[in-house]
Formats: sequence, C-alpha cells, structure tokens
Amino acid sequence: MGAISASAPAQAPIAASRWARRWLPWMLLAPVLVYLAVFYLVPLAIVIVSSVTDPSPSLSHYRDFFTDSFYLRVLSRTFATSLIVTICCLVLAYPLAYAMARREDTLVVAMLTVVALTFWTSFLVRTYAWMVILGNRGPVTALFRMVGWDPPPEILFTRFSSTLAMVHILLPFMVMALYSVMKKIDPALLRAAQNLGASPGRTFRHVYFPLSAPGVVNGCTMVFILCLGFYVTPVLLGSPREQMLAGLIGSQIEELLDFGEASAMAVVLLLVTLGLVALYNRFVGIDTLWG
Amino acid sequence: MTTAADSNAQPQGAHYLDIVDAVKTYDGVRRAVDGVSLAIPKGEFVTFLGPSGSGKTTTLMMIAGFEEPSAGDIRLDGRSLVSIAPHRRNIGMVFQNYALFPHMTAADNVAFPLRMRGVERAGQQRRAAAALDTVGLASMANRHPRELSGGQQQRVALARALVFEPDVLLLDEPLGALDKNLREQMQVEIRHLHRSLGITTIFVTHDQTEAMTMSDRIAVFNNGRIEQFAPPLEVYARPATQFVGGFVGDSNFLDVVVSDPARGIVGSSTLGELNTAPSALAGGTAARLMVRPESFRIDAGSDAPEGRWNRCSVRIEGSVNYGDSVLVMGRAGEIPIRLRLSGSDAMPLREGDTVRVRWRPEDSSLLAR
Amino acid sequence: MTAQRRIDPLTWLILAFIAAPLLIVVPMSFSTAPSLEFPPPAWGFNYYRAFFSDSRWLQPLLNSFIIALGAAALTMLLVIPASFAMVRHRFHGRALTNLMLLLPLMAPHIVIALGYYSYFGSLHLTQTYAGVILAHTCLSVPMVFLTLSAALKGFDRNLERAGANLGASPLRVFRHVTFPVLRPAFVVAALFAFVQSFDETVVALFISGRDAATLPRKIFDAMRTEADPVVAVVSTLLLAAVIAGVIGSRLWQRRRKRVNALAFAMQ
Repeated sequence: MGAISASAPAQAPIAASRWARRWLPWMLLAPVLVYLAVFYLVPLAIVIVSSVTDPSPSLSHYRDFFTDSFYLRVLSRTFATSLIVTICCLVLAYPLAYAMARREDTLVVAMLTVVALTFWTSFLVRTYAWMVILGNRGPVTALFRMVGWDPPPEILFTRFSSTLAMVHILLPFMVMALYSVMKKIDPALLRAAQNLGASPGRTFRHVYFPLSAPGVVNGCTMVFILCLGFYVTPVLLGSPREQMLAGLIGSQIEELLDFGEASAMAVVLLLVTLGLVALYNRFVGIDTLWG
Repeated sequence: MTTAADSNAQPQGAHYLDIVDAVKTYDGVRRAVDGVSLAIPKGEFVTFLGPSGSGKTTTLMMIAGFEEPSAGDIRLDGRSLVSIAPHRRNIGMVFQNYALFPHMTAADNVAFPLRMRGVERAGQQRRAAAALDTVGLASMANRHPRELSGGQQQRVALARALVFEPDVLLLDEPLGALDKNLREQMQVEIRHLHRSLGITTIFVTHDQTEAMTMSDRIAVFNNGRIEQFAPPLEVYARPATQFVGGFVGDSNFLDVVVSDPARGIVGSSTLGELNTAPSALAGGTAARLMVRPESFRIDAGSDAPEGRWNRCSVRIEGSVNYGDSVLVMGRAGEIPIRLRLSGSDAMPLREGDTVRVRWRPEDSSLLAR
Repeated sequence: MTAQRRIDPLTWLILAFIAAPLLIVVPMSFSTAPSLEFPPPAWGFNYYRAFFSDSRWLQPLLNSFIIALGAAALTMLLVIPASFAMVRHRFHGRALTNLMLLLPLMAPHIVIALGYYSYFGSLHLTQTYAGVILAHTCLSVPMVFLTLSAALKGFDRNLERAGANLGASPLRVFRHVTFPVLRPAFVVAALFAFVQSFDETVVALFISGRDAATLPRKIFDAMRTEADPVVAVVSTLLLAAVIAGVIGSRLWQRRRKRVNALAFAMQ
C-alpha cells in the first residue's frame, strides 16, 4: 500500500509525458509530410486528373494510347531497350564487382574511387562524352575511316548510341548494387564448399552465385526502373524517329502542347514503375534496395 | 539451511537505497521484473547476479531512471526517485560498452558532468585531472576514446562516473569485454575504489566468480525475482533455492524425503538414511539435498573421524583434470554424482573403480522441491 | 577462394569502359575548333575564355549554386526531425509514411515535371528560384532521409543515456552528444541534396525557364542546338569538382585512420 501511494504523485508527470510521447513522432513528421502533400502529391494528382479531364472528361487518351500502334511501339521499344540495358549492365558489372569484392588492398580502393567518380558525375556530362565519341568527327568515326569503311555509318542519334550511352551511365549503379552484396559473402563458405568436394566451377554455381542473387535482383530492378523513365540520354543521343516513352511525353508537351495526352502517358509510366516497385517489395522488401 | 524469506530479511540500520516491490512489464503480461525488493545500507557493495533475461539489468535501469517501474517505488535516502528525470538523479553509471563520447577527449569526457553542473572551467579541469589520476590515466587526458585500449576506456568511464561524487555507483557488466587477466585486475581496482570512497555500489554481472570475489552481498536474480540476498559465503554454502544452488558453483542434487526434521534425518530411496542439519521443513516433505562436489572426502574406512558422517559408494565413469583439482564423475546407484578431489587423492582412481566417499551433514543444504 | 595477385584483362577492360569516356571531355575542352572534332586539330584556352566571359553560361552556373544551396537547406530542415521520428518511435502508419518519404525517388522525374509544369505554372512559380527550390527539395527528400536514418540506426543510444546520467537535460544531450556525433552524416546528407539539385535536369527543363535557368538546363539546350565545345569546358569543370570531392574525401578518411593508428601505437 505504502509503495503504491508513494508512486501516485509520479503518475501526473508520467501521464503528461505519455500524451507527448504519442504525438511527438507526428509533430516531427508534420513539416515534411505537409510539404510533400502540397508540393508533390498535388502536382502528381494534377497529372492523374488531367489525363482524364483534359481537354474534356473522357478516357480517350488511354484508348488512343493502347490502340494506336505508334504508341504501342514506343511502349514496347521502351521495355525492350530497358531489358537490353539491364542485361548488358549485369553482364559487364558482375565480373568487375566480383574482382573488386575478393580483394582488400589499395587497388580495390582505387577501383572503387573510379566507380564512385563516374557515379557522381552528372548524366549530362556522360551523355556529352558519348556525343563526342560517337560524333561524325569523333574517334570512332575516325577508326572506321582508318579500316576503310568510308563513308562511315551514322552511329549517333540512333537507338544503338542511346542504348550504349545508357549502359555506360547505369553501369555504376549495377556495380555498386552487386559489390555491396558480394562484399558480405563470407569467404569461409567458399572454402567449406571446396573442402566438401566442390570444384571452383561448382562452388560458384552452387554457393557463390546464389549468395550474390540478392545483389543481382537489386541491381537489375534499379537499372530497369531507371531506364524506363530515362529522359535525358535518349532525347539527346537517340533517334527522333524511335523515341522512348519519357522523350515522347516531353515532346507531347513541347511540340504538341497536348497536356492531357502527355499526362495519360505519364500515368502509364508511373503505374508501370510503381507496379515494379510493389512487386519488388512483395518478394524482397523495399529496405534492401538501399543495401 | 535458510528459506527465501530469511535471506531477504532486512538488516537493522539505515537503508540508503530502497527498492520496494518494483515491477516492470512491457506488454502487461510478462513481467521482466516481478516484485523486487531490496534494502541496501549506505556504502555497501551489492552485486546483481543472474542469467540473461533475469531482470537484473532492467532493475538497474530503473534505478538509473532509463526505465520507469510499472509499479513499486525506488527510494534514495528516503525520497522517491521514480518521478525524478535521469539527469537529475546524481547517480554515477558505467555502461556496458563504456559509452564514452567519441568526439571528446578523455579529459573532456570526465569533465562533462562537472560542466553540466555549472562548475567553472578551472575547477572542471582540475577535478577531471584528479579523477583521471586516481585511475592511473593522467597521461591519456588528451586522447580520444578511439585511441585508447578497452581497459583504458573502462577506467575513463569509471573516472567520469565518480568525478561528481554521486550518491550511488551503478556498473552494468563493465568487465565483459576484457580478457581474463585485465578483468581480474579491474575487479581488484574497483573493489579498492569502493573501499576508499565508501560509495554505495551496485554491480551487475552474470559471472558468479566476479560476484563472489567483489561483493558485500549478492542478490541472485531469476525470472524477474530475487531468490536470495545474502553475503557471498552464505549464498554459496546455504543457497535458499535450487536455482541459487545450481547457478552459483557446482552442485549435486539428491531427491529425499524429510523423515525426522528435529534431528535432521532425511531418507533417500537410493542411499538410505542421511544426516543433515535440523530443518524447518515438515516431516514427509519431498525435498532436494544439495551437496557440493568439494565436500566429499575419500572414506578409507580405517580412520573413523568424529561426528555423524554420511557415506556412499560411487562407481567412477570419467574424470577431468584441472591441475589444481580433479573432477570425478560417477554414479551412486542411479544418481549422477560429481566429486572434486585433490590431485593426490584422485591419482589411484581409475574408470570403473568404485570409491567410498563421505561428507559432513553441515556441508549439505536441504531445499524445498 | 584465395585472392589472386593479378586482375584479369576483362576486369581492366570493363573498368576502362566505365572511366575512359569521361576523360574525353578534358582534351575536348582545350580544342579551338568550332566543332566536335576529335582529336582536336588545335589547342588553346579559347573556349575557357568564352565560358568565363559569357553571362549566358555564368548566370545559370550561379543560379544552380543558389538553388542547390536552398534546396539542400530546406531538405535538411524538413527531414532531420522526420528521420528521428521514423527511427526512434513506433507508431501506426509508419510503413505508409516510409512509402511517402521514398515516393519521389521511385517516380520518374518526367512524370512530376509534367505536374510542376501545370501546377507551378498556375501558381506563377515557374521561372523563379523559389519554384525550382521547392521542386528540388521534394526530389531530395528520399536520399537525405535514407542517409540520415542509416546514421541514426547506427547511433549508440547509450551515449545519450550517459549524457543524461551525467546531468544533461534532453536538449543539452542533443547539443553536446547527439549532434556532434551525427555531424559527419549530416554533412554527407546535405552534400547529397546539394549535388542532386545541382545536377537535376528534367524538372529544371520544364520549370526553370530563362530567368532561373539552371546549369543542366543550359547544357541540355546547348547540346541540343549547338553541340558546341563550350559544353566540354563545363563538363571538364564539373568533372574536376567531382574528382576533387571524391579524392579529397578518400584522403581525409585515410588521414583519420593513420592518426588513430599512430596514436594507438604510441601507447
């Protein structure tokens, strides 16, 4: 009895702080959530609403999009290109990440520095570099001329040039995604496999590759999604007759001033992207995307 | 033998730190601390001993103010601490991983509590330097924690906890990360500090050797309750419950029935009638007899010593040589028995031999089952 | 598998593929020809002089700095309390809030650029610093949030308890313990936000207009219309800034490690 009454006066401040504790997280979150609602969700909503109300309420934009062969070709081209870029990035990044993950010395630090450097350089600068390299007065053309291919083929402003540049730009993402997972693979597991009778090839197939799979999934998801919505490089380096979805949205606005049409395409792009993220989250969990 | 109630009897005299029926529950169902009461006089060195999850660290956290008791009270020198915020409790604490501020030098770390209390710069530096000197680290004052070894960090943490002359010192398993020799050295130093400062100290550990060597009294925790609160020798020789007997030191347990409580006779189905000290348990009670392995002596038969001895035969199944003693494992009938004998006594024994041993009634404890 | 001494040529090739194209902009910037001829027929500082004297380039450069600073500051102000809330408290709707905070990272920029074009257009915020800052802040929130929450998750709460135990009130604990220890993470997060805003192209294309044109917008226009070697100068300068930053941070990390090792060895 004495003990209980002694703690009673303590109840008052405890109750007050309990109230504060319940609302404190929301008070801390309010600024950013309100801000995002006003300055992000509203414009997003405008796009979604416009797609069905501009110029008049109807689903005509969506009907056009999914029936017109032109739009469907753009969509399939975007998917196909993203797939190609993702696969190329994976094929190139895996050996590099593998080589880096197995070492601890200063050489690896240098390699990581190089990858980090390209990672931090803006897309525009890298796109420009490819513009110079693939231009009709650049080194590649000069090489063609040297081997006798005159006039040399136009490689800039083609689907090839934009795909190549995208592979180059997104490669560091794939490398980092793979590297961060590979670094955590315990070398003792590989030694154990060999000790138990697995050849290096089988060790890789049955032990190392499965363990690196989360990195593969991470990297591919990230690169694929980035590629789908890529604007800058395809517009600057790609063929104007073979646009990807993001570029098409942009030209709908700039050239045709058709906001409704552009919004509909943007909504399709958004839904596909969010759908992929949701799929990823379902099977893997969104937190692992950031390592 | 003692019962749980006896062990927890409050000693006469001023109680400086009083924990009254403290309870802590996180989900309303499971109690991490289930009615803990302790009365600690000023200047005593108390160890909270128990396995992980026994509630000892949670109780410590309640004293420090980082956990709020769900019920019960904690009083220091008569006044309740429960409503006082942790930064106003004037209690020194050494955390398990030392929690030294990485962005401050050792001297700044130690001066921090003085700074918080508004001591002027010169006084801060003087007292911090003195505190570091006390723990032998005067030369490391301008080092950052990452430049210090584990043992040095530990000493800085101690200096920091004591520099502002707190009323109580709390230590949360501070020696766990140190190697054996360093740990033993720190145990001596902490004990020495305690004696010279006379500060009421609570030390949390799961290492029973540490508890035995350092404490004035040990509070043995199990499942959120205190099973015994007594000086080390009493906890060892007169455990209040089977858990205490098993947790502290090695022990043998025999199932017995109380035959004659006044004369201290119990009956074992395997070993027959055995002598113990007079017991408080009623006749016919099922109980457990605890005998420590080192209480056994070889019974040569020819020498018949004074007093009532218990005797039995043990069939040897194996042994472990520790250098200073030998642990012999075997069976008396079906009951597993562990004997700790001196090297010379154990030398002639072989696996499969049967050896006759004896032990004194006072060397056993009778515990309720 | 034991670490090999040699790295096989395939790895070098891939690394070269990653790094080499970037390097081409450097010699390009020293060309004096009016086209993108490579190798350059003649060398000189022409285009550097042209760049540093042309207000049509210098103004966007300044604009980008101002906007990036503003966006970084605003993002930090909004996200610091939010990350404390998300990491240290448990409450209903935490998963949904997490999603909200990461949404700007998941949606392609072209989609929201469209939205800003219409929305800010009607609010008369296009072609203003404010408009771009507001937009870039939204886009920076996810990255800063991820960086700060990672740092907070790794923060040892015992340090704060020690601070309180030693007599510091909650506010003083933040000032003397939490903030100093987290400061490096704060710096990195702010840097992320700054660089992200500085390099952001798509949204800036649609809403920065001529009055608040950002550097990326100017570069994009220049690449589209002129394919002028001046862009090589800008690219080189940006590349130099990134190199300075990355190598600088590596050296600083190495220096810290060496100081610690030396101090430890001296004991």
